[in-house]
Amino acid sequence: MTQNLRRNLANRCNALKSTGPRSVTGKWASSQNSRKHGLNSIPSFESSIEYQTLVDLIAEEGFSAFVCADIASSLLNYRRVMDAYYDTYTNPEPVNEFMRDMSVKGSMPIFREMLRESGSELGDVRNMAAFFAGMQRQERHKGGPISRRTTDTHKLIRYQRNGIARLSKAVRQD
Amino acid sequence: MPYNIHFSIDVVIFMPVDHKVSSLLPFLSSPKLLPDESEAEFQSGLQSLLSELDNPSPLAVALISQLNESLWWIKRHTVDKELLLHEAMARLLSKAGSYTETYDNRKVSEALEHYLDGSAHKDEAEWIDEILSESKLTLSDLRVRAFKDAAKHIKMVDDLIHRQHQTIRHLQRSIDSIDYKSRLIKRMDLELAALESRQSVKGALTLDAKPS
Repeated sequence: MTQNLRRNLANRCNALKSTGPRSVTGKWASSQNSRKHGLNSIPSFESSIEYQTLVDLIAEEGFSAFVCADIASSLLNYRRVMDAYYDTYTNPEPVNEFMRDMSVKGSMPIFREMLRESGSELGDVRNMAAFFAGMQRQERHKGGPISRRTTDTHKLIRYQRNGIARLSKAVRQD
Repeated sequence: MPYNIHFSIDVVIFMPVDHKVSSLLPFLSSPKLLPDESEAEFQSGLQSLLSELDNPSPLAVALISQLNESLWWIKRHTVDKELLLHEAMARLLSKAGSYTETYDNRKVSEALEHYLDGSAHKDEAEWIDEILSESKLTLSDLRVRAFKDAAKHIKMVDDLIHRQHQTIRHLQRSIDSIDYKSRLIKRMDLELAALESRQSVKGALTLDAKPS
């Protein structure tokens, strides 16, 4: 158990020394790290087969070509939002059980031992403990998986509101 | 006899609807259900909604499938409210130990889930009772405290449910508008046909009235 804890702490300390990606592909990959749902990007459905088929189906109901296009893109946009909603609901941010359940006070001797090799002082150990305590507070504040998925899906409310308002407006405009 | 009538109505209504749903599903993405959810229940809800419309158009079918999904989300979020309470209760119970030694959150959560379902083993039930007495709480006290703790997230779930209600309202208005439009077109067609037939009768009469 202690060995495992030591390894985990060492990994985290080494990760703190990282200065980020260096290659172009690495930088591009890391630029996508904080991408959550992609709903802020402007979609273009016009070239898709789904769009064309929907337009043809809606046109049979006597809507004008402009309205058909508007309804089809609004419907696909609403589906995009609801798919992102489902993905967010089913894949919430995972709980870091190690961070949540670790005893920071109990880990102090391990911090001391780890930092002794680099000739650090007592203040550094305290700083390290404070850093981990802060991370633990954040982790606990986020709650369990249900709380997390609730918080995450709650952020998508405005996209849903805009999506359905656009669809409703498109259908009722003619 | 009434059974025969019922059967014939089902066949007449459901056959074209099924065809339209299947032609639209690839574009509107098939229902994404959670592992413990029943697809049959989802589909029966959709069918019952579709059967309320008289010969729905493809667009109406598309909107109704969205409406059914919204109803499904309301169900999910209602369950979530109870799950949030359970999560908060488990968190409170796992903290019931001494300051330095807390109980394993996952174990407490599982045991509490079984305890509340009434499917707990004797050991689990005894353990939960023990933790409750250690923290000097009854189950109802724990629930009240958990509700207080989870209030923020429960309010969020209420917002999500409210959003789905508003979505349903939007969809209903859109479906009504399509239905009204199709009725209007049908009525205008009928009026036009009536006018044409009247015209043709009049024409025939005037032709007859003309002296040869």
